[in-house]
Amino acid sequence: MSSEPPKTSRKLFFREAITRALTEEMANNPKVILLGQDIGKFGGSYKEFVGLIDRFGSTRVLDTPVAEAAMVGLGVGAAAAGLHPLVSITYMDFLMLGLDPLVNYAAKARFKTGGQITVPLVVKTTAGAKGQGVVHSQCIEAWLMAVPGLKVVAPSTAADAYGLMKAALRDPGPVVYVDHKRLFATTGEVPLAETIIPIGQAAIRRTGDDVTIVAHSWMVRIALEAAERLQTEGIGCDVIDLRSLAPLDMATITQSVARTGAMVTVEEGQLTCGVGTEIAFQLREHLENARIARVGALPAPVSSNPLLEAACIPDADRVIGAIRKLLGSNSA
Amino acid sequence: MIYALTVPGAIEDVNEVRVLEWHGQPGHLFAAGELVVELETHKALVEVRAGHAGVLRQILTPEGDWQAVGSALAILSDEPSEPLPESAGDLAAMAVEFEIN
Amino acid sequence: MPNPDSDIFRPLRAMMLIRAFEKALVSRADHGFQLLSSGEEAVAVGLCDAMGPDDQLLSSGRSIGPALARGITADQVMAELLGKATGPNRGKGGRGHIAQPDIGFFGAHAVVGGNLTIAAGVALAMKVEQRPGVVVCLFGDGACGSGALHETLNIAAIWQLPLVLVCNNNQLSVSTARGTALAPARLSDLAIPFGLPGATVDGMDVVAVRDAAREFIEAARRGKGPAMLECLSERFFSHSTATRDTRSAAELSEIHARCPIERLAHGLSPAIRAALQAEVDAEVAAALTKADNAPWPDLAEALSDVL
Repeated sequence: MSSEPPKTSRKLFFREAITRALTEEMANNPKVILLGQDIGKFGGSYKEFVGLIDRFGSTRVLDTPVAEAAMVGLGVGAAAAGLHPLVSITYMDFLMLGLDPLVNYAAKARFKTGGQITVPLVVKTTAGAKGQGVVHSQCIEAWLMAVPGLKVVAPSTAADAYGLMKAALRDPGPVVYVDHKRLFATTGEVPLAETIIPIGQAAIRRTGDDVTIVAHSWMVRIALEAAERLQTEGIGCDVIDLRSLAPLDMATITQSVARTGAMVTVEEGQLTCGVGTEIAFQLREHLENARIARVGALPAPVSSNPLLEAACIPDADRVIGAIRKLLGSNSA
Repeated sequence: MIYALTVPGAIEDVNEVRVLEWHGQPGHLFAAGELVVELETHKALVEVRAGHAGVLRQILTPEGDWQAVGSALAILSDEPSEPLPESAGDLAAMAVEFEIN
Repeated sequence: MPNPDSDIFRPLRAMMLIRAFEKALVSRADHGFQLLSSGEEAVAVGLCDAMGPDDQLLSSGRSIGPALARGITADQVMAELLGKATGPNRGKGGRGHIAQPDIGFFGAHAVVGGNLTIAAGVALAMKVEQRPGVVVCLFGDGACGSGALHETLNIAAIWQLPLVLVCNNNQLSVSTARGTALAPARLSDLAIPFGLPGATVDGMDVVAVRDAAREFIEAARRGKGPAMLECLSERFFSHSTATRDTRSAAELSEIHARCPIERLAHGLSPAIRAALQAEVDAEVAAALTKADNAPWPDLAEALSDVL
C-alpha cells in the first residue's frame, strides 16, 4: 500500500483553471452571466469556456456579435442593474473599442451616483505577443491602472488564474482580468479546495538577497528564468509576481527592496508611463536610495514576424543584462 | 520487436499532454491505422493511430495522467509473448500517425 | 381649482414644473453651466407618462426634464444641480449625471450615445431575471451618428431585449444641424434594417409622444422586443447656459411659438392656468431655498465610493 499523503492539488491546463472558477462561481451565484464572441458551442478561443453553455444554458452564456463597445456596455449595464457579468474580450487590443463604457461609466458609476449604483463586472481579456502581430499583441494594463475605480489583475499560474478569477467574480468591481496568451499552453497544480486569491496581494516566487525582480503575467516566468541563471553567477533574486496591478501591493515590493537594495521591473508593455515606471516612483517615495532599472518592450509595434517579435519584447537575456548593469554600476 | 509508444513531438506549443482515453487494453492487437490513444493538449485532442500492426503490452500512462512530449505512453510488440524489458527507455519509438482536432 | 383628474392636468403641470424649474435655475450663476430642456418638455413628460413603476429611464446629459418627469422631486434635482449633499447622488453627479434608480430613473450620462449600450445591459438584466420592467433610453439626435446606436439596435434586436430607444431630435447637436450631420430622412428609419418597429412623432405634442411611447413600451413588456421612437422637438435655448446660440431672433421666435405647454393649455381658463403657475413657482422656489440651505458635501466625498 502506498503511504503517500492525500493529494491537495491537481494538475490542470491553464484554461481548465479558468473554466473551473467560472463553473463554481456560476453554480454558486445565478447572477453570474457570460458574454463574449465564440464562447458558446465553440468554447472560447482558448477553450476556457468549454462546456459552460451545456451546463448553464444560452440565457447565461451569451455569444455576441463582434461589437466590443456594446459587449462591454451591455455587461456594464447588466452589472449596474444587479447581475454579475463577465465580458470576454478576446484580445486586449480590442478592449480599446469598449473603453467608453468601462472607463466613462463603470469606473465612475459608484462615485457619480453617490453609491447608488455599483458595477460588479469582470472584463476578461488576453494580452501579450504570440505571433499575432501589431493589433493582437499589446499590453495596455498600465493604461487601465491609471483609471480610478478600476481593478486590474493578471495571473502567471493556473492556481492564480483560478483564485483571481473567483475573486474577480465576487468583487464589487469593475475588474479587468488579463491572461497572457502564452500561459494557455502551460499547466499547473491547482488546489482541490476552493481557494480565493485576494485582489491586491503580490506573491513572492523566489527569494534572493541581491536584487528584486518585479513582474506580472508571462514575464514572471521570464524573471524566474533569469533568476535561475543568475544564481549560477552567485546573484540571488527575489522574484515578485504582482498578480494585482490595481491596487498595487507596494508593501511586499518595498519590504523586498529594503532588503536587496535594488529593483528591476519587467513588463511586456511599454516603459513610458508603464507598470514599472509607476512602481519605481512609488518605491522611491519609501526607499530613497534604491537602485532601479526597468525592462520593457521596445517603443515600437509588435510584429508577427517571429524575429521582430522576439526583438521587441523582453527575454531572460535582457533581464539578466539589466541586472548585471544595475548591480555592476554600483558595486564597481 | 518491441516498441515504445511516445507522445508525438510535433505539436505546436505543447510540452506535456494528458491521456484522455486508451482504445484497447493490454493484449489487444492494433491493426495499422487503428486508433490507439487519445491525448489532450491545451487546445486540441490528438488521435494517435498505430503506424503498423502491434500488440499493446503495457500502459505506462493511465487515463487522466500527464506525460511529457517524447516520453513513453505504452509498450507494444509485434508478437504477443515477446519478453518485455525492465524499462521503456531504450526502446525504438513505434511509428504512429496522429491527427490534431 | 383645476381638476386633478383631467386628462391634460397632470402632463401640463409636469411640463410647467420643468419650465419653471429651469427658469429659476438659470437665475443662478454660482453653480456653473446647465443643460436646459425648455421647449422639449413634451418629450420627457409624454414618455414618462407612458412608463410604469417597474420601468427604468436612462437619459442623455440633458436630463432636468426627464428627471423631474420621472418623479425625482424638484427639491432633490435642485440640490443635486447646485452640488449639495442632499441630492440623490449626494451632490457628486450634478449636471448630466443625476440618477435615482430606486424610483425608475436609472440615470443620466453625459457621453453622447454613452447610455445606449448601458440601457441595453439594464434590459438584458431584466430579461435574464425575468423582471417585469421595460427600459427606456432617451438620447439626442447627436447620438444617432454614433456606432453605439447601431451596435445596440443590432444586439437588442437579436436578443429581443425589453428596450425602447427614444430619440429626442431637437434638431441641433451643440450647433450642428441634424440635416447636415445625419443621412437618414427620418431617424426612426434607423430601426428598419434591424427589423425593428420605428415611428416618428411630433415631439411638441405631449399626447402624441405618450401614445406612441405607450404602444412601444407595452409591446416590449409583452415580450415583443425593442423599438425606436423619434420625437421631433425644439430646443428653446442654446446647447448650454455657457454656449452662444447660433439661431437668428426670427428663427427663435418661430420656435418659441410652437411651445408644447401653450399647445396643451390652449383653451384652459386663465384663472386655472395662473393657479397652476403659482403652484409650480412655489414648488420651485421652495426647492431653491432648501437647496441653498442644504450642506455641501464633506470634502472626504472627493475620495469616497471610488473603489
